[in-house]
Amino acid sequence: MTKRIDRRAIVRALIVFVVAALAVFAVSTIGSTAMADTPDAATAVAQTSAIHADAETTEAEVTVDDTAADAPGTNRIAQNVFNGLVFGLLLALASVGLSLIYGTTGLSNFAHGEQVSLGAMLAYFFATQQPVSLPLLPWEFVIGWPLWLAAIAAIVVAGGTGWLQDRFLWSKLRKRGVKMVQQMIVSIGLSLALLNLLQWWIGPDRLRVSIAIEERRQVGPIQLGDTTAVSIAISIAVLLAVAYFLLRTRLGRATRAVSDNPALAAASGIKVDAIIRLVWIMAASLAALGGILMALYDSGTKFDVGAKLLLLMFAAVTLGGLGQPFGALVGSLVIGVVVETSTLWLGPDLKYATALAILILVLLVRPQGILGRAERVG
Amino acid sequence: MTDDVFASVPQEPGAPKPDPIVVADNVHRHFGGLTAVDVKHFEVQRGAITALIGPNGAGKSTFFNLLTGFDKPQTGDWLFNGHSLKGVSPAKVARAGKVRTFQLTKALSRMTVLENMRLGASDQSGENFFVAFAKPLWKDREEEITAKAHVLLKRFKLYEKKDDYAGTLSGGQRKLLEMARALMSDPEMVMLDEPMAGVNPALTESLLDHIVQLKQEGVTVLFVEHDMHMVRRISDWVVVMAEGRIIAEGPPHTVMQNTEVQEAYLGAHMDTDLSEEGS
Amino acid sequence: MDLIYDILREAIAPTTAAFALAAIGLNFHFGLTGLLNMGQAGFMLLGMYGYAITVREGGPIWLGVIVAIACAAVFGLILGWPTLKLRGDYLAIVTIAAAEMIRYLGRSQNLNDLTGASTGIRGNDFKGSFEMLSPFPDSQVTFLVWTFHGTRSTSWWLLVVGWTLVALMLLMYWRLSKSPWGRVLKGIREDEDAVRSLGKNVYSYKMQALVIGGVIGALAGIIWALGASVQPDSMGRPTTFWIWTLLLLGGAATIFGPVLGSILFWGSLVAVKGLASLLIPETLLNTQELEPFSLTLVGITLMCLVIFRPQGILGDKKELAFND
Ligand SMILES: Nc1ncnc2c1ncn2[C@@H]1O[C@H](COP(=O)(O)OP(=O)(O)OP(=O)(O)O)[C@@H](O)[C@H]1O
Ligand SMILES: [Mg+2]
Repeated sequence: MTKRIDRRAIVRALIVFVVAALAVFAVSTIGSTAMADTPDAATAVAQTSAIHADAETTEAEVTVDDTAADAPGTNRIAQNVFNGLVFGLLLALASVGLSLIYGTTGLSNFAHGEQVSLGAMLAYFFATQQPVSLPLLPWEFVIGWPLWLAAIAAIVVAGGTGWLQDRFLWSKLRKRGVKMVQQMIVSIGLSLALLNLLQWWIGPDRLRVSIAIEERRQVGPIQLGDTTAVSIAISIAVLLAVAYFLLRTRLGRATRAVSDNPALAAASGIKVDAIIRLVWIMAASLAALGGILMALYDSGTKFDVGAKLLLLMFAAVTLGGLGQPFGALVGSLVIGVVVETSTLWLGPDLKYATALAILILVLLVRPQGILGRAERVG
Repeated sequence: MTDDVFASVPQEPGAPKPDPIVVADNVHRHFGGLTAVDVKHFEVQRGAITALIGPNGAGKSTFFNLLTGFDKPQTGDWLFNGHSLKGVSPAKVARAGKVRTFQLTKALSRMTVLENMRLGASDQSGENFFVAFAKPLWKDREEEITAKAHVLLKRFKLYEKKDDYAGTLSGGQRKLLEMARALMSDPEMVMLDEPMAGVNPALTESLLDHIVQLKQEGVTVLFVEHDMHMVRRISDWVVVMAEGRIIAEGPPHTVMQNTEVQEAYLGAHMDTDLSEEGS
Repeated sequence: MDLIYDILREAIAPTTAAFALAAIGLNFHFGLTGLLNMGQAGFMLLGMYGYAITVREGGPIWLGVIVAIACAAVFGLILGWPTLKLRGDYLAIVTIAAAEMIRYLGRSQNLNDLTGASTGIRGNDFKGSFEMLSPFPDSQVTFLVWTFHGTRSTSWWLLVVGWTLVALMLLMYWRLSKSPWGRVLKGIREDEDAVRSLGKNVYSYKMQALVIGGVIGALAGIIWALGASVQPDSMGRPTTFWIWTLLLLGGAATIFGPVLGSILFWGSLVAVKGLASLLIPETLLNTQELEPFSLTLVGITLMCLVIFRPQGILGDKKELAFND
């Protein structure tokens, strides 16, 4: 029957969040005054350097170093918004795939984060000058391809894993009529397996896909490096291509038809299974591209980058309306900007928490997202 | 089966009844551009069997959902025993004595038939978290409930199945189980959404008898049914819906002669596959 | 046979008891009520913080436990208040996000004074008063095949407390799941609307289940913390996923499933690591790679379980045989 969220639920959600936000704010101001009280300057330095060391080792840093923004002529807010947009674009590459999968199959794919990591790891694997190996094989070798070739190879292999997954796992589950909740738990298992497989294969350290050092130039109120500019160009081009595919090509229209109503699409002669296979390949390749570009943009990557992004992707996809690829794009940009600008007020270690708060809020207030249409109930 | 109470009731949509248990006014529900329910006035006579009929998509199930709190209309108000049930949760509606069944049966698959029945009972204090710890506090009531469930299960020919999982029952048996379960709480009024759909003809006879027996026990029955034969057999009064509105009311034998009703049915039948009815 | 000893040791270790407890909590959520709580680690972390901080600041043990329980209960209420009306997979995403938020807040530099940020709270800061209560000698004690310290950290004392707690919670699960209260929850698991139509306040029952399960999760957090220390990053998403794996392994909605699952899970993790290091030469799989290797297997196990035997080891095949 009705699962519509009534106004009471919205009010509840808002109250919870206003109170929670106030509490966090209060506690963090208490915390920071306590820190400011520390008379010993050395401890303060130790603390800040601890933050940095921490960020180095445990957080996948997704921004250019904040201190860079303090250069003269740089507007901190503009820089943060810009960083947010870039981050959002890269996030969009990954979220669009997640959204397409949800739209065509109904699956909330928890393993999608690992697809992002996989792309970055593969690019490292093909490009690095360090010796690499495969799990359980004793040989070490150096591939050392140029970056562009490594990136293309990584995307192709990642797309292949999308095909493999659907061919041998998801299509079988769909045929057996395994329930969505069960499939979701399967994807959780897959994510756990892939995450650890990547760590086993590539190791737990932070890696650099490209050793080139990016030079930053002053453009108006912001700083912009070459790699970043190229990343932006690539991601915009790819997103436009995806949009063209969905809107203008026959296959793309078929994909949207499956998204709208699989039964109807099947009845009108569309090969639903083939479309879904295609979606999996596309989603995996896009995620890989996102992972690679993000590794370049952050000048470093790690086996668990994707795992850290997964919830942000869910936030973006939900914000934009589940199963709406264009919504996912808008959602990603919003999330990107929010995450980056939140560092103006909150500590950088809380920026993911901010995005999660938004995700929860959006789910509560408008489960069908900003651009999505109201779901047909009953 | 002619009842005197209806003698004075005019045969027109929204006719007032001598002793109404349910009164609904201006209930309007639309989904986007589609008006599913638009009922100006509607009354159900206490202690009688009222049938709600109409072509597929007429809005009968939606109207049921509205009256039982499972869906919220854009406008409208409705009373049960003189108390407004507008905005009241489904659980409270049930506790007020108005229990329903669903067109698409909702058997609780991974529970036994007997557990399904017990869940239907009211006043089991063991359903409170703290009381649940102390078995002596709820054991007696549990025995009463079980005894009652046995009686009902026997009546509905499900007694042999009592220890089977409800998920193993056939479609028709689930209909029976759902109806029996609704009766566990001794409701004042039951609302049955297509109770006969999928039940084998041999059983429908006894089902009809059950419904008549309910009436004799003083329970008000409102039910949706497509099979006009059944409707004629047991109902005291028939309400016809089409395209969300009530288009006619009357005793079962005369209401189908109404030209508007025939038109509604014929019009709807042209693009509806009748063979799918009752699935 | 060091390996067998290691497995036996792991089978009764405090961690195993803690995970069994957390899984009993999850069994209230998922097994009984069908709630997809993907944030059980968040409840555990709250329990740890509640206990460790209270005791560190000089509070008595009982107060620490009460604070832990209260934190989890309040978190459950706040989380459930707006979310229990959401569809199942939305609830999964919200709970996972909320649990991660707890972790991010806990490791945030802003709360350093309270939670110790990402380093967490050292065991010595809060274990003292609990270890003082130990009736066991302050030295290594051997019983049957097992040798543990009498009182410190992974001790006989903690083992006894942990497993007693497990037994109590099992008893509670057994009593409640066989009561009319449990019957309502099972009904909700099968079909919320049906239960609503029978006059039960579904929302309130779901809330009760969420809070009970979460509180048991918080107790699990205390046991874990007493055996190790408070470490926000040890309570990330993987921890929740392990709890799910071991619950599904033992059998959701069964009484002993969580305990059996936990013992098997941790036992076989040790077994896999031990066997792998015995059988696979160091050149192919070095010690650093053992951990991710065995956790890869955990992920695969979870997938296979859900696909091929969703009822787990103890579950009733018949119960899940029908798909409707
Ligand atoms: N949740 C919903 N969202 C959108 N449209 C709906 C929804 N529920 C019902 N409808 C529409 O409202 C109309 C009335 O539906 P309803 O189920 O009430 O018909 P009915 O009279 O019970 O039909 P039947 O005899 O086939 O059961 C239909 O056109 C249906 O498509
Ligand atoms: Mg209907």
